[in-house]
Amino acid sequence: MISFENVHLRYDTGISLRDLNFFIDKDEFVYLFGPTGAGKSSILKMIYMDLFPNDGQVEIFNIGSSKVKRKEIAHIRQRIGMVFQDFKLLMDRDIYSNIALPLELRGLKPNEIRSKVVRKADEFGLRSRLNHFPHELSSGEQQMVSLARAVIDSPDILLVDEPTAHLDQESAAGVTDAIWKVHDSGTCVVFATNKVELPKREPARTISLVSGEIIIDREL
Amino acid sequence: MKLGYIINEGVAGIRRSKMPFMNSVFSVTIALVLVGVGVLFVDNGLKYIGDLQADYDLEIFMQNDASSEEIQELATIISEYPGVIRMDYLSKQDAADLYSAEFGENLLTLLGENPLPSSLRVTFEENYRSSVYIQAFLQSMKQFETIDDVLFQKDLFNRIQVIMQTIYTIAAAAIFLVILVTVFLTANNLRLMILARYEFIEAIRLLGASDFMIKAPFFLEGGILGFLGGTFAVLIIVGLEQALAAFNVINLPVRILDYPEVILGTLLFGISLSALGVLKAVRRMLRFVA
Ligand SMILES: Nc1ncnc2c1ncn2[C@@H]1O[C@H](COP(=O)(O)OP(=O)(O)OP(=O)(O)O)[C@@H](O)[C@H]1O
Ligand SMILES: [Mg+2]
Repeated sequence: MISFENVHLRYDTGISLRDLNFFIDKDEFVYLFGPTGAGKSSILKMIYMDLFPNDGQVEIFNIGSSKVKRKEIAHIRQRIGMVFQDFKLLMDRDIYSNIALPLELRGLKPNEIRSKVVRKADEFGLRSRLNHFPHELSSGEQQMVSLARAVIDSPDILLVDEPTAHLDQESAAGVTDAIWKVHDSGTCVVFATNKVELPKREPARTISLVSGEIIIDREL
Repeated sequence: MKLGYIINEGVAGIRRSKMPFMNSVFSVTIALVLVGVGVLFVDNGLKYIGDLQADYDLEIFMQNDASSEEIQELATIISEYPGVIRMDYLSKQDAADLYSAEFGENLLTLLGENPLPSSLRVTFEENYRSSVYIQAFLQSMKQFETIDDVLFQKDLFNRIQVIMQTIYTIAAAAIFLVILVTVFLTANNLRLMILARYEFIEAIRLLGASDFMIKAPFFLEGGILGFLGGTFAVLIIVGLEQALAAFNVINLPVRILDYPEVILGTLLFGISLSALGVLKAVRRMLRFVA
């Protein structure tokens, strides 16, 4: 499903990722763990093909980064749900429209969209928030909206980037629970975090990075 | 159904960013008004000069002994000459009557004989009123012995032609320049409008929207924008014309309302200018972010 082979990535500022090798299967839950600047977000970007390795090959759904076409990138992204470090919610539309966006882009009928969005909002405790705007929500709720948007179109892979960074303990627990639930329903999850407590509390395979290199790849 | 998304998003986009949208409409309107006023100015100028010129026809005088058959034959030939839209026959009697009307004397009783020749007055169609063409016509008239003389105010005709040519050239250059500047300014405005949507474009790109799905709503929005700009421009031009008429400044012979194709052209120009401008701006942004 996700495969990194001898992947090197250089930013203009200098080499940042060196010789990454790993494979992630379709029913896995994997932590990407490392301190700030270790390269977690960069790896996620390579998975959703917003960034390409300078050396080596990233393969997603058996499509290689070296020969992927622009159209295929759009298709790959339609099968990947992403929760960004900065949410990337659209501030000028309400929660309903934010969550509905991927379905609208796919061209679903309005009543289909409505029933899916409402169901997902119920699941994530956002039902009463659908007509609000993002700035009216707490960061925990915004994180939930971002998660709901990421999984609304039943992706094969869910990528989450530091979803608990700005949250208090209670909301953080709510968000991680929700992510685990998504995994339990059969979605591959890659979870980037710099908090070692998370893999300690809910153990899973953990790829640990230090300054752009994988130092450990096993369950913690 | 993706069409539904494109239409919804195109229209919603306008609602979400009213200010930049109105700015762009305004800029398209200004552009089109300038172009429209320029076109009207030239059109009216040309029409005015054309009317002046229409007064200077050719007058072909017959030999005094020309028989009516000969005159008839010549009249047929001339009236079939390409570009001739009008030909009036003035008999000897008509000429004498005109003379009498002008000078209050009866020429016939005075001289006992009518010395005035009969003549043919010839008017050419607008497209044929070039110096070269008329000269060729004159040349071909030389072969007819029944013709005594041809009166043609060549100098005046040529002068008008030169003036017309000059006005045409200057106005065309000015209009072209105005179009260039306004197109540039409008494109810039559209770019600012798209720049304000950076977050949206970035977000849907990452959600897996194809380039087409990203561009299409903006293309539609640009079309609506251009249509509004074009409509406002036409209304403003009509308003200006009415104002000129109301205050008796000048009575324009050419008005935009008489030319549906000009109105249509203005709208189409507005629509394509903004739709393509928007498309270009989005394409630029996509190249920049991806
Ligand atoms: N666009 C960029 N240009 C240059 N260098 C970059 C760029 N993006 C990231 N880097 C560098 O690459 C390295 C890895 O960055 P990355 O964002 O992947 O780290 P991270 O593990 O996600 O950190 P954080 O926990 O703070 O989000 C860092 O040293 C960073 O400075
Ligand atoms: Mg990061």
